[in-house]
Amino acid sequence: MKKGQPQKSRARFLGALALITIAFGLYWALVQAPRDALQGDVQRIMYLHLPSILTAYLSFFLVFIGSCLYLWKREKRDDNLAHSAAELGVLFTALTIIEGSIWGKPTWGVWWTWDARLTLTAILLLIYSGYLMLRSLIDDEDRAALSAAILGIVGFLDIPLIHMSVYWWRTLHQPPSILRPDKLPWENVHPAMLTALAINFVGFLLLYFYLLSLRLHLGEVRSEIKTRRLNQGAF
Amino acid sequence: MGSWGFVFLAYGIVWGCIVTYLFALKRRVRCAEEELMQLRAPEESSDHDKK
Amino acid sequence: MKLLRETYLVLRKDLVLQLRRRDSLLTMFFFGTLLLFVFHLSFDLVPDRVSEMAPGLLWLAFLFTGTLGLAQLFGAERENQCLDALLLSPLDRGALFLAKACLNFILMLLVELVIIPLFWILFNLQTWNLLPQVFLIALLGTLGFCVLGTVMSALTLRARARELLLPLVLFPLMIPIILATIQCLGAVLRGGELGDALPWLRLLIGFDVIFLTLGVLVFDWVIEIE
Repeated sequence: MKKGQPQKSRARFLGALALITIAFGLYWALVQAPRDALQGDVQRIMYLHLPSILTAYLSFFLVFIGSCLYLWKREKRDDNLAHSAAELGVLFTALTIIEGSIWGKPTWGVWWTWDARLTLTAILLLIYSGYLMLRSLIDDEDRAALSAAILGIVGFLDIPLIHMSVYWWRTLHQPPSILRPDKLPWENVHPAMLTALAINFVGFLLLYFYLLSLRLHLGEVRSEIKTRRLNQGAF
Repeated sequence: MGSWGFVFLAYGIVWGCIVTYLFALKRRVRCAEEELMQLRAPEESSDHDKK
Repeated sequence: MKLLRETYLVLRKDLVLQLRRRDSLLTMFFFGTLLLFVFHLSFDLVPDRVSEMAPGLLWLAFLFTGTLGLAQLFGAERENQCLDALLLSPLDRGALFLAKACLNFILMLLVELVIIPLFWILFNLQTWNLLPQVFLIALLGTLGFCVLGTVMSALTLRARARELLLPLVLFPLMIPIILATIQCLGAVLRGGELGDALPWLRLLIGFDVIFLTLGVLVFDWVIEIE
């Protein structure tokens, strides 16, 4: 069957493009961008951290969209999108936490701090890990998809409330920390830093969509396998 | 650990994880496609028989 | 109106069942008491610190006790395919949701009515005059818990390892309620009134309203899962 071929070469092109952009991004982040005046070279982790956060949030938004579409139209394709995006979302959220932690050690002196951003990211990780576990623990495919869709929607709608409550919690208890890696003083940013950030953003997005296309393809193949097995069993 | 140590630690872990995930994903796709080929094979051979 | 009447019918059935057999109620009550004992043994509580830790400990006790209740929420329906029978009837799914949420709410309230004074006794708190406000805040928090919990309980109905999965998906989503309730309780126990914690109270009420509405709307699909 040749119908998969144009899809495959498109995916490969996307992957190659991602790779090139990321290579550029690495060069700019590690070599070309200047050293930060306050934090030194450790600040270079930002070129990883911000794009990771972006892709993680994008992923969870896609889970929401996929879940809504599935509830509305009940098409396997939308469920596939939700599931794939959740898997990638968990990956990038976990990476975000690791990066935040490593950045925090030289900056604040500790591997973990319960500041709003880290706590929030950890909660997101818990929610979407729960989503993946829910899916894997329900045996019936359609029930799993339906349950997951509802969880995907309820979870996403809860996020603003969680965001509010965690930020309030932190600002009531602790004085604002001086060196917050996620606060950017936009006035004095060196243009080379902005360029590095932009290249890495694009690189991560391309990488994300490449991984997503692969994962979606996996979902489609599995879906077809299931259908065929069912049909063959009928004879 | 010096500044660059932390930088390389972060970059190393992140790209290591991404590359690992990518290869694992490719392997899952390959296995699934092989399974699909096997399921399609009897159908294609019966098409040939009919012709 | 029809919605409320149907809710009342299902709720009354469940309440009668519960009050006759009392197994859910008693288990929850004893578990809550047990937790209070374990907390006291686990934390070295000096009298002045107890007031600070009370909101957190109380709410933890209610969370775990409530989860027990949630896990059993659809227990009666699972036997003999009663749930299918309920769904075949012209019963509004939203009514089923409200009834189940109400059931757990009432059970939890009954348990809290005993556990809260018990906490005051066991931990030697003197602020008995603050109990009405404590109850009110606990009531609002419990409402949010029951509403979101009922949805999650129905979602995980057919999952393997259900008793573990339910808290796993529920607790992260409960974080606004947990934080809001504890902040409000803390403010009340410190100063006798809400004061600064008023925004938290608004958040609590907002959460309750949002998820009550969402629950009614979404339950059509949730219960289709069966």
